[in-house]
Amino acid sequence: MEVNVELRKAKKDEQILKRRNISCFSMEDLSPEKEKNPVSMLQPNSAARLTSRRNPPLNEIIEAGIIPKLVEFLGHNDNPNLQFEAAWALTNIASGTSDQTRAVVEGGAVPAFIALLSSPHMHISEQSVWALGNIAGDGPLYRDSLINLNVIPPLLALVAPTTPIGFLRNITWTLSNLCRNKNPHPPLDAIGQILPVLICLLQHNDKDILSDACWAVSYLTDGSNDRIHVVVETGILPRLVQLMGAPELSVQTPALRAIGNIVTGTDEQTQRAIDAGVLALLPQLLRHPKPTIQKEAAWTLSNIAAGPCPQIQQLITCGLLPSLVEVLDKGDFKAQKEAVWAVANFTTGGTVQQVVVLVQSGILKPLLNLLSSKDSKTILVILDTISNLFLAAEKLGETEKLCVLVEELGGLEKIEALQTHDNNIVYRAALGLLEKHFADCSGHFPDTTQDLFGQVSGRNRIWQGDFKCGIH
Amino acid sequence: VFTSSFSRCLMLSSVVVFLQRVLLLVASDVDALCACKILQALFQCDHVQYTLVPVSGWQELETAFLEHKDQFKYFVFINCGANVDLLEILQPEEDIILFVCDTHRPINVVNIYNETQVKLLVKQDDDLEIPAYDDLFRDEEEDEEDSGNESEGTEPSEKRRRLEEVWREILFEYEQYEYHGTSSAMVMFDLAWIMSKDLNDMLWWAIVGLTDQWVQDRITQMKYVTDIGTLQRHVSRHNHRNEDDENSLSIDCMRIAFEYDLRLALYQHWSLYESLCNTCYTSASLKLWSVQGQKRLQELLADMGLPLKQVKQKFHSMDISLKENLQEMIEESANKFGMKDLRVQTFSIHFGFKNKFLASDVVYATVSLMENIEKDESETDNFIRALDSLSRSNLDKLRQGLELAKKQLRAIQQTVASCICTNLVISQGPFLYCYLMEGTPDVKLFSKPVSLCLLSKYLLKSFVCSTKNKRCKLLPLIMAAPMNVEQATVIMVGIPPETESSDKKNFFGRAFEKAAESTNSRTLHNHFDMSIIELKMEDRSKFLDALTSLLS
Repeated sequence: MEVNVELRKAKKDEQILKRRNISCFSMEDLSPEKEKNPVSMLQPNSAARLTSRRNPPLNEIIEAGIIPKLVEFLGHNDNPNLQFEAAWALTNIASGTSDQTRAVVEGGAVPAFIALLSSPHMHISEQSVWALGNIAGDGPLYRDSLINLNVIPPLLALVAPTTPIGFLRNITWTLSNLCRNKNPHPPLDAIGQILPVLICLLQHNDKDILSDACWAVSYLTDGSNDRIHVVVETGILPRLVQLMGAPELSVQTPALRAIGNIVTGTDEQTQRAIDAGVLALLPQLLRHPKPTIQKEAAWTLSNIAAGPCPQIQQLITCGLLPSLVEVLDKGDFKAQKEAVWAVANFTTGGTVQQVVVLVQSGILKPLLNLLSSKDSKTILVILDTISNLFLAAEKLGETEKLCVLVEELGGLEKIEALQTHDNNIVYRAALGLLEKHFADCSGHFPDTTQDLFGQVSGRNRIWQGDFKCGIH
Repeated sequence: VFTSSFSRCLMLSSVVVFLQRVLLLVASDVDALCACKILQALFQCDHVQYTLVPVSGWQELETAFLEHKDQFKYFVFINCGANVDLLEILQPEEDIILFVCDTHRPINVVNIYNETQVKLLVKQDDDLEIPAYDDLFRDEEEDEEDSGNESEGTEPSEKRRRLEEVWREILFEYEQYEYHGTSSAMVMFDLAWIMSKDLNDMLWWAIVGLTDQWVQDRITQMKYVTDIGTLQRHVSRHNHRNEDDENSLSIDCMRIAFEYDLRLALYQHWSLYESLCNTCYTSASLKLWSVQGQKRLQELLADMGLPLKQVKQKFHSMDISLKENLQEMIEESANKFGMKDLRVQTFSIHFGFKNKFLASDVVYATVSLMENIEKDESETDNFIRALDSLSRSNLDKLRQGLELAKKQLRAIQQTVASCICTNLVISQGPFLYCYLMEGTPDVKLFSKPVSLCLLSKYLLKSFVCSTKNKRCKLLPLIMAAPMNVEQATVIMVGIPPETESSDKKNFFGRAFEKAAESTNSRTLHNHFDMSIIELKMEDRSKFLDALTSLLS
């Protein structure tokens, strides 16, 4: 009989890209010539009005071969207005589907835009930043080809104390796209170039800059331990923890995500996060009105609880147990699931004393209540946790006390009810538990077989996935 | 950081030690001429080679640039260039640098945000009201397409489209009204002062430049008074009492003095009577185009205790006893007739023997020389003569200018009187309109922009005094006059309404542009002031109709 216990997955929820209405492109004369007549000098720029709002047929524009012309205009250093309009138009085309972005790239826009990053006209270099951001955001392929074309140095050079905030926001967003996407991750040396500037941007107090910069860090920490290492070594952790407590959700969310990613790393990396003060902020996040924050805070907690005993001890001393109990009791159901993992990890890795403290904190009642959850995985984890509790109780010679406690809290009933659960593994696990520990307290049970559980706790970066049933 | 209270004062000083030559492009207004004089003096000091090209409009500016762009690397624009995208129009090579000292506002945003090729000489405290870079070159993202859930905690979009409206709105707002900043002559003087090369002559030119702005009604009263204060400090510094005694007898030295003098145009070089009749302020307040007005004038003179015979004499021939407390006397009497601002803060210059001129005298004289129609001379010749007249050594030219100015002021007053008496000023709804027909006396004089503008301003002020229609008093005025009979063109100017707290901002530039576009009228927007255009006589009525509907 095989059990295929799914390891915890750290997949982020994918955000569906929101498509904007494509802007209108008037198909007027695209000639950059202008008459020398003073009258026309004063009339609005006769270059195509490429940016109004009505819906244009974007694909027809592409088919009409306009893109190469626009790319050519990017090179007209003598006509900055034309450059700017062309840059804007190409930005908007590149903001569309992957096909549309591809058309822009294949039109040769990338080297032109990279060159324009150094334009003496700030609005043109900014528009280029934006366009390149759209291209990088298409996926790892274009992201890496931008990096290979050396986009990073001129981009970073634009960040200066005198750079206007709007411009900085654009740069930060584009940088975040350069850090984004996996399969593959961005090259490590590129990250090494970007990180110092990113760290700088994180010192800013503009919420939009902070948000995008935190997202960038969250992307960078969403990978192997050596990627986490590079980020942790910058010393950014205290600032990240601080930003976890920011009033703006748009900043809190990615900061928490980044920290959550970091504590899926090594014990040392987790300790650095703890040293930076993450535990002090978790309680308020565990009861945050926003369910996603609760969930991710609980996930973070669960990964810390999968650490060595000293770290578990820190959870206790920093007063996280009451918060954990609260989440189990009243939290959003997604957060509850994570909290269950936290308890499971705690009972697996903690010392007997620590487990006692856990039980004394009142964890059992809400935990047992969750046995009525619809999610089989959760049930299994709870059952495993109870098993761990009994292990500890045995060492103290207090198994009977535990039995009574479980029964008083209505847990026995729930476990018994699980014998008729649809899921086979649940049924067998419940059975096993009852036979092993409650045989004296209850009626007869069929013969138990071996322990059906494997280790289900542990720390890694993955989210709880769907439970795969083993075939009985 | 390019935020709202952005200001720049870039100094030429670091660049004045040119190893190359400089091309000076100077517009045709007195402030520009004064600024030019100061710069020329500075160049002379430092042995900088330069070439001077007077330009009266965009066509000349462009032509001059094209003709010289291969031989010059440095160009200085005086009272032209700030309000357009200079780089787009001129397309200079990368190593060419353009210095712009121009009172025209608003400054084109491209000129501001391009750092390398366009250097603006702007006074530090001038409120440029520049839209913040952030507002102008970026905009808020509209999240209306988002289905709304968790828009705050969501990941940033992988791609973003740039929206347009906000940007263009802001730009439109910014560019809608034209106005004028600090006098270029004053800016140049500042430059000289910073370089410790300022001389009393330069100070006088700065004063004349500022006064030109006042005469042309280009700046608010408050700005004028503030700038007078600034200049007064320099005047005190340069013209200490003790230096006086040594120098007062020398024919070469000059002295500037602060004056709180009558604003009667040219009165010390004319007769008091003529001046009273031909100064807009008195003429309009007393309504001298009417019979009652004439009576009031007599009463005023009587009240001042000035016999008519005396008053009609040349001023310097008037009895000394009458001249003694003239200013106070006139002021007192004028007050009784509703003229509370007959005196104005200004400056005078004294040099040689008995040569004394008020700043406004010089302004009127210079304008007349510059727009002289008497001899059939080229605009450039007139420009040069006007420029020369600003040097003390060319007193004869100044005197010639004064005579011409008297004719001009008389012509203006007569035209104003005639327009009002024959009801030539009509209301088109959103604005007043007045057209000077061919054949009107002195109409040739008013084919020139400054003269036409002066006429328009005086006409509007007088009209406002004459009309009983409250609504009409608040309207702006468009004035047109024949420009070139053979080509059948007219010159048209638009001026803002006459109100006490007027900010002197003029929206006609944009309005003319739009009306021209929408009617396909054949217009030439050649003047540096966008509110002055040429148009084909035939297109006049459809153009006006378009304007009327545009502004309604």
